[in-house]
Amino acid sequence: MNFFKRQWMVPYLFLAPALIGTIAFKLYPIFIGFWESLIYTSFSGGAEKRIFVWFENYQYLFDDKIFWKSLEITAFLTIIINPLQIAMSLGLALLLMRKSKFIRIIRSLYLLPIGIALPIATIIWGLMLDPNQGLINGLIGVFGIPPQPFLVNENQALWCIIAIATWKGVAFWMLFLLAGLEDIPKQYYEAAEIDGATPFQKFRYVTIPQLKRTILFVFVADTAANFVLMVPMIILTKGGPLQSTNVLIYEGYRSGFYYQDWGRSLSIITILTVITLIVIGLQLLFLSEKNEGIKVK
Amino acid sequence: MIMHFKRQWSVYLWYLIIFIGLIITILPFWWGVAASFKSNSEIFRDLAPISYKAFLPGFSLDSYFAIFENDFGRSMLNTFFVSITSVAGGLLINSMAGFAFAQFRFKGDNIIFGFVLLSFAVPADAIAIPLFKMMRQIGWFDTFYALIIPMLANGLIIFLYRQFFLGIPKELIEAARVDGLSWFGVFWRICLPLSVPVTLGAGLLLFVFQWESYLWPLIAAPSPELHLIQVTLGRFSTEYEMIWNQQFAASSIAGFLPLVFIYMFQKQFVSALTGVEQK
Repeated sequence: MNFFKRQWMVPYLFLAPALIGTIAFKLYPIFIGFWESLIYTSFSGGAEKRIFVWFENYQYLFDDKIFWKSLEITAFLTIIINPLQIAMSLGLALLLMRKSKFIRIIRSLYLLPIGIALPIATIIWGLMLDPNQGLINGLIGVFGIPPQPFLVNENQALWCIIAIATWKGVAFWMLFLLAGLEDIPKQYYEAAEIDGATPFQKFRYVTIPQLKRTILFVFVADTAANFVLMVPMIILTKGGPLQSTNVLIYEGYRSGFYYQDWGRSLSIITILTVITLIVIGLQLLFLSEKNEGIKVK
Repeated sequence: MIMHFKRQWSVYLWYLIIFIGLIITILPFWWGVAASFKSNSEIFRDLAPISYKAFLPGFSLDSYFAIFENDFGRSMLNTFFVSITSVAGGLLINSMAGFAFAQFRFKGDNIIFGFVLLSFAVPADAIAIPLFKMMRQIGWFDTFYALIIPMLANGLIIFLYRQFFLGIPKELIEAARVDGLSWFGVFWRICLPLSVPVTLGAGLLLFVFQWESYLWPLIAAPSPELHLIQVTLGRFSTEYEMIWNQQFAASSIAGFLPLVFIYMFQKQFVSALTGVEQK
């Protein structure tokens, strides 16, 4: 092949298609998003006019109560959902490490939600949580609990979304933790047992340090994923009732696709991206430092 | 004796927790599939007041016939087309990139690899809106190009191939080069045929990503002729809000295929996803 004669070009030729794809469709859009957030589009007189307005779109946002409310909801969701999902995934992974005749089938069944796309999970759960005829109200009725409004009540809707996302997410994150747990050499546990360690001590001094990297990865990846959680909002709540599920990513989506206010939409997305990077940076910094401390001891 | 009793007790507790967890995990599937074989009036009758019949499957296929009259077949074909082309294209370009990172030292290799790793830290949903504006500018908006091409390059899959190709003995490749095989020949005829396990896992990941994607196809290709399966599903749930059996039937079909594939190749899927070799 003449084409490959020039040796120094060979690696770049192999790399080119994937690299172009990565830069054009994964990295460049971040830049476009920021650039477009500095532009105001007016439709006066039927013609679309684009004006460069520096940070005016951001200024409008900071004066906007809806934006602040949305930020507050995002913060609340982040603080609740991530620790909840990590704790549940870790608990489940530990439970599934026990030896049992049925462990293979039990594990397989617990993995079911991974194969179900979020829109499907959302739709089924939406019907289960239906206030009038839903399955959940039927089931809790057996225990004498009155029917709940769930997704149509501003105090319950966000919790319902947390439940749906957790049902779908726990199995997925558990998979990584399970793989990490199986990677821990059995001798460590045997040594700890010889030293007379209690189950809790084994967990604290063998499992946690050995699993540290996996937990950190899952924590960071889960946080990043939940910052952009909006499928249940698009399909079920539309950010309501009374904006109670109007997280930043959904507000950004709605500003663009419902109100054609792209400057606002992309300002919100840019702010969300910056927040995500800061939070992930802090997690990496805080968690890896803290673990170093334990090692030294 | 007491020890023995204690151990028994913890086993029972374990089974109890596992059992409750399983019910919560399986309940939506069970109920959804069972109800997809019923008429709407049957579904509602079994729910108010609730009876054990809510968990027994019906015998009617009406809901399944109805959704196929409703453009569901079209969106399924679209999804097949998009998934299969994405798997083929994605496997090719990402394995080539993985090969480059594993086999060659070249100027900027570490920086470029850093960019690749960075790219899979970017959540797809966060860049969906700017990407949408970009598609409009280059004229791909509302075409199959928008659904397929931006999804091909994938940092995770490049990484998987790189790890695998690093494990191929250098002597094998050198011998092939001495025999006069081109670099592309080394890649195509030696490395790629060896990489069946990675390819299976990576292909499955690409397939599932596309089959389950919702937000991107929703905004990038709004024409009904281009709808993918999850988008159609989302549309059903708003347009046919009270027709529960059709929503269940559509969900069952959309959920069935990825589940079958994932269970068939569970080992490869988990290895590809977690990067840990499964026993």
